[in-house]
Amino acid sequence: MELKKWLRPFEELKLEQRLSILTIWIAGVLFYWFFATSGEKRLFPPPGKVWEGLYSLYNEGLMVHIASSLGLCLKATLISIVFSLIIAYLSPVPFLRPVAVTLSRLRYLPLTGITFYLAVVVSDARTMQVWVLTIFMSLYFITSLLGVVKDIPQEEIDHARSLKCNRWEVLWEVVIKGRMDYVLDVLRQNLAIIWMMLVTVESILVGAGGLGVLIKNSDRFMNHGRIVALQLVILLVGLGIDLFLNTLRRMLFRYSKI
Amino acid sequence: MSAYESKDIILQVENLSVVYDEKTIIKDINLVEKDTQREGKVQGQTIAFVGRSGRGKSTLFRILTGLAVPTTGKVLIPDMIKVNGNPPSIVLKEVREGDVGFVDQKYTLFRHKTVYQALHYAMRNTKGTEKEKREQIDHYLADWGLSNVKNQFPNELSGGQRQRTAILEQLLSAGIFIVLDEPFSGLDVGNIQNVKRAFDLVNGSNELNTLIFSTHDIDLAVELADSIYVMGYPTLSKGTLATYGTLLKHYNLKDMNLAWKGDLTKEHLELIQEIKQTMLTS
Repeated sequence: MELKKWLRPFEELKLEQRLSILTIWIAGVLFYWFFATSGEKRLFPPPGKVWEGLYSLYNEGLMVHIASSLGLCLKATLISIVFSLIIAYLSPVPFLRPVAVTLSRLRYLPLTGITFYLAVVVSDARTMQVWVLTIFMSLYFITSLLGVVKDIPQEEIDHARSLKCNRWEVLWEVVIKGRMDYVLDVLRQNLAIIWMMLVTVESILVGAGGLGVLIKNSDRFMNHGRIVALQLVILLVGLGIDLFLNTLRRMLFRYSKI
Repeated sequence: MSAYESKDIILQVENLSVVYDEKTIIKDINLVEKDTQREGKVQGQTIAFVGRSGRGKSTLFRILTGLAVPTTGKVLIPDMIKVNGNPPSIVLKEVREGDVGFVDQKYTLFRHKTVYQALHYAMRNTKGTEKEKREQIDHYLADWGLSNVKNQFPNELSGGQRQRTAILEQLLSAGIFIVLDEPFSGLDVGNIQNVKRAFDLVNGSNELNTLIFSTHDIDLAVELADSIYVMGYPTLSKGTLATYGTLLKHYNLKDMNLAWKGDLTKEHLELIQEIKQTMLTS
């Protein structure tokens, strides 16, 4: 009877039952992995190879590369979030709105064209990586932040105005202070794209190291164990950042109920 | 007749009309409300606007609060500086954004401010020392039963606490006028009682205090208000209905001896029927 519930749409299950389902799926994936990689022909490397790959990566300075990637991510994120916030917060000003909307539309620009022009003005690989990431992150951040500003109900604006707030005070209280928790959420939502982009940028411009360089080198030598090990590391680091930001939002903003 | 005296004009609306994109929303709105004085009792004013949906009540309220500008006409309210200073006679001025408090039906508050912070912010332009403001806020919090939630954010408040905070915040900021757009919409019996209590507190604290609200609950309008305006589409000479809202009828419940009664009498019920009939044909 209980098992029947597991297959019924919209059924609310107890925590133990949800954990059981999760365990079954993890065990299933692991079993499939072991089973599907035990023969001669195989698409994925077996767990042993992945472990070996991870071990060799560790010995070759995996942690340094992770730190390098995180450093790049942090630097580009800080620059782009500050720039994006200024653009998005000023978007309610009619004269400046076209700037924000145009920048948001530019997210459809291809990466290659931009890197060409950046290469003309920037020679250092690390600086180049930071700027490529900053430009593209900003375009996504601006798009999401514009959505946050647009979704503020008219009632909240009217409420502030009825409390004798001038228009700049409305902007400060309702948009900037009142939506600070949303900034962290925008960061979280866009992080998956950013993290993926970061690895790509690092693999295009290999001079400054990072996880992207490791994956490119492993790819060149068709070392599947290392490639999968790296994919798992990148996935786990990404999930770790997501968890950190979510915890930070809950800790800092008690009033947040997204 | 209830013993009362009408003093100075407290609200005057002249030839108000609003047109959006060549569509007339409201037209020919004229009204005058005066300060009511009852012997031995502090009595504010409670004015209700009733009418079917889409007749322009919310548009009129945005104009009354100065949040929107009318196409023609003006809204005049007492100049508070003159009221409090010398000479004491009331001088009228055109309403501006922030002069009149506004509470919407969702009881919107700053989501990032606690109850205390919200009230303190509402008083930021009020004269007085920090200590005086703190004491005044604490006094109101106690009177309105909000002391125990003073450090809570809106998402941590119950419906009733949220309503009282929203009304109190406007009272501290705007002074004597508060406009409430459908304050009873979607509330259960207990919360309606809370809002009624808040109305009593506002009315009983200053005789110039004036509450203006809209509602679809005619029984509540008749029970609480001392002045009721029915908004609707007027009938044109050809017998068809116009497509803009205006004031069709005004009932001065003070003159009708129906104000401040507490319980509904047979006369109240007859008035309710009359108002409903007017609404149905407009």
